[in-house]
Amino acid sequence: MKHARILLGGQELEISVDEQGNVTDGAGQDLSIDLNSDAITWLPPVKEPGTIFALGINYADHATELAFEPPKEPLIFIKHANCLTGHKQVSYRPDNIDYQHYECELVAVIGKSGKNIKAEDALDYVAGYTVCNDFAIRDYLENYYRPNLRVKSRDSLLPMGPWLVDTADIADANALRLTTHVNGKMTQEGTTKDMIFNVPFVIEYLSKVMTLNPGDMICTGTPHGIVDCQPGDVIVCEIEDVCALETRMVSEQEYYGDKY
Amino acid sequence: MSQPLLVKSKLICVALNDAAQLKQLDATFNEKPYGKPPTEPVLYYKPRNTWAADGATVEWAVDFDGNSVDSMVVGASLGVVIGKEACRVSEDEALDAVAGYTIVGDYSLPEQTYFRPDIKGKCLDGSAPVGPVVAEVATPNAVEVIISVNGAEQSRFSYANLERSVETLISKLSYIMTLQPGEVIAVGFAGERTPVAPGDKVELSIDGIGTLTSTLGAKG
Repeated sequence: MKHARILLGGQELEISVDEQGNVTDGAGQDLSIDLNSDAITWLPPVKEPGTIFALGINYADHATELAFEPPKEPLIFIKHANCLTGHKQVSYRPDNIDYQHYECELVAVIGKSGKNIKAEDALDYVAGYTVCNDFAIRDYLENYYRPNLRVKSRDSLLPMGPWLVDTADIADANALRLTTHVNGKMTQEGTTKDMIFNVPFVIEYLSKVMTLNPGDMICTGTPHGIVDCQPGDVIVCEIEDVCALETRMVSEQEYYGDKY
Repeated sequence: MSQPLLVKSKLICVALNDAAQLKQLDATFNEKPYGKPPTEPVLYYKPRNTWAADGATVEWAVDFDGNSVDSMVVGASLGVVIGKEACRVSEDEALDAVAGYTIVGDYSLPEQTYFRPDIKGKCLDGSAPVGPVVAEVATPNAVEVIISVNGAEQSRFSYANLERSVETLISKLSYIMTLQPGEVIAVGFAGERTPVAPGDKVELSIDGIGTLTSTLGAKG
């Protein structure tokens, strides 16, 4: 089963989609809607987002691409809900920068609280999986708490969705093809098999330090194949059996409008 | 646990905002892995599992093998409580977004490096007490932040020594992210953190706001 949050006719709905493609609302009522309809506004799939953990350099080939040694323990940084936006929404490119790239990532969403969780029990704490695009602006990197908030905590730069797939529906989260297309052309192709630290490892690691809570998310990093993105570009990050997330880039001025 | 949490949605901390500390670390920051001193505010989050109220116990941390750690430290800061949405505000407008001021404690493992986000050191459950109240402060860039352990003063940090002012930080942050009511910014800690021990009673005080009290838990 897939679970999403949408706006339809001015109403916020929590919808579920079964294997046959039947769409129902939170009360189990059938909704006769086409998921490709322009009448749908997709919201980020987690209703009450908690702490968002993101991994850096978590694919060996991406580490090479960035000229880093693969890490010996996970590089984890924190983000919050201000970054989130939904499927088919916009993300902005700041003015006067040279290099902003997407990062197509598998996301595990925590479904129940736990501390000191063992890797072998970790999936019991995962409500489901989704896809995010954890954009980065390389111009803003500084070597202090890197990747720093100026790079990774900006409004709209963590599109996520369109939906959450139940954990039980993904037999092996580390055997999924991952691609990114920019304006229809494939620019990134990899597999979650190449992840250095997988979801159960990261859950065990984090929960040794702190309590994980429902709504917390773990964004697991991206493989090789990042390219610069410009306003007007349409970026689709897709992970097999999970979902395809579409984002349109806009300028800083277009994004902030009156506040620009 | 009886008191409600004061923070909503996020607690942003500013590191390395003690001008004397920056000066002292200048040589280090010109070497690897830093390369050069920071050009923008150095920021980290205390996530929601860390938030606590006045009077709470701060657990003594354990390491990855389950053994109690040897040392913990505390820093104290003025907490700027956001009162209305702030998106891309100028320094002149910055204080209009402020609902009031409080005290933020940051209990952590000793700060050994600023290169990577310090999840192990900074994200311990209950390690960020905030309170005791939200008060008005006429001159936020002139407060003194005092740390006392078991009744004896251990640290006194004057905001005359801040590298960046409250207004500058609110403005700069609001260009990174839209700040929302209830969010708290800890704008400046003394460069030298204060060591604490199991069972210590720690009081963080700012004149005009009050005292934020915590007790360190026992070794496990």
